[in-house]
Amino acid sequence: MSDEQSALHQTGRAPGDPGVWFFIIADMAMFAIFFLIFMAGRHEAPELYRASQAHLDTRFGLANTLILLISGACMAKAVMMARAGDGAITLRYLLLTLAIGLLFGISKVMEYSAKFAAGIAINTNEFFGYYFAFTGIHFLHWIIGCGVLIVLIRRVRRSGVNAENINWIESGGTYWHMVDLLWVMLFAMIYLLPPGGAA
Amino acid sequence: MVQITTDNSYGTWRFCAWNGMIFMGVFIVFWGIMGHNVPPYGGDMDASVIANYFRDNANLVRLGMAISMTFAVSYAVWGISIGKVMDYILGRDHILTNLQVWGAGLTVVPILVSSSFWLTGSYRPEALPDEILQLLYDMAWLLIDLAYSVTSVQMIALGAGGLRDKRAQPFFPKWVCWYSIWVGFMFIAEILMPMFKSGAFARQGILNFWIEFMIFFIYAPIITYYQLKAIKRIEAGEPAA
Repeated sequence: MSDEQSALHQTGRAPGDPGVWFFIIADMAMFAIFFLIFMAGRHEAPELYRASQAHLDTRFGLANTLILLISGACMAKAVMMARAGDGAITLRYLLLTLAIGLLFGISKVMEYSAKFAAGIAINTNEFFGYYFAFTGIHFLHWIIGCGVLIVLIRRVRRSGVNAENINWIESGGTYWHMVDLLWVMLFAMIYLLPPGGAA
Repeated sequence: MVQITTDNSYGTWRFCAWNGMIFMGVFIVFWGIMGHNVPPYGGDMDASVIANYFRDNANLVRLGMAISMTFAVSYAVWGISIGKVMDYILGRDHILTNLQVWGAGLTVVPILVSSSFWLTGSYRPEALPDEILQLLYDMAWLLIDLAYSVTSVQMIALGAGGLRDKRAQPFFPKWVCWYSIWVGFMFIAEILMPMFKSGAFARQGILNFWIEFMIFFIYAPIITYYQLKAIKRIEAGEPAA
């Protein structure tokens, strides 16, 4: 490990560019508002939310969660390998992160297609309005995350794991983990949480 | 010292920078309050409610929209002044600067056109059927919300350009650049607006109206503050990056 990389590793600071954290905190605050809106709606109309939730396929939600968690684990390994100065393994983990992450897109398209085939759309009712809106916005985050991964792969291919690229990988990794975390929250709230508690 | 431009009319730069705040002030008072757009009438409201809004407030809406249309160009003027500062970050004629300037310039168009729809509704509302007035109101809101992408271009280009500033103390701090990118990105939630007539994503909803407009209204003062500081530094002889 070079002195520069070692210094990066030992600073104890938050990983990546501090500015990226501003983006992530702002984004997560926005999703927190999404969650509050959903929970308020759910509190107002538990029957509607219960009946609508029954039309969701938990298997897709679970598969998506596993895909993003495994992809996130690969991203964490990529960051570790980058810090250790191993460009070849870093590249391999980044490719794996992307390859596994892409499965999320396939799964999501299948899930949306099944909903449309069943006649369920964004304007079916309030629950599905939020379902499509929130998961759709999350899906856009995923698309951007894939773009970021492609940029990281190209940078590592071109110039290895220098200090600048480590910063990029940490920043991209932080974003990718956010995509992961937001999905876990969406999955728990939309797919799993029983509306109206014991009612 | 690298000379980026022979234009040293910093007073004009500063005046143009203040146009961002002029735009915001006019937009809030004349388009928002006088035009009864804070908050908008709901997408789920009956046509008669919209028609009565035009008929009962015709003169206020006429004046509000006429003034809004007059000052819509201030947004472009502001963007051009931001472009001057970006020249000192990126060098002359950089594509990100061009995108920022064009994004700000094009933002004027949907503001002008949508304001003209509200103005048309208020021009002779007594002679128009309720549904036509509702149509004009819907058109105005659909246009002003769905034209978000031109402003997103400005914001994302400004953020991406500002992040390339290699100064120890950049003209636009990193958090401001990322805020700019985030606001430009989050506007994409507007794409959901036509799908809803009520709820959080409808034109009057908490997300589509209150939050999206709030982050837009906060945006201009933040950028203008750092823009004015940058102009001061440039005027004091700070070289280009």
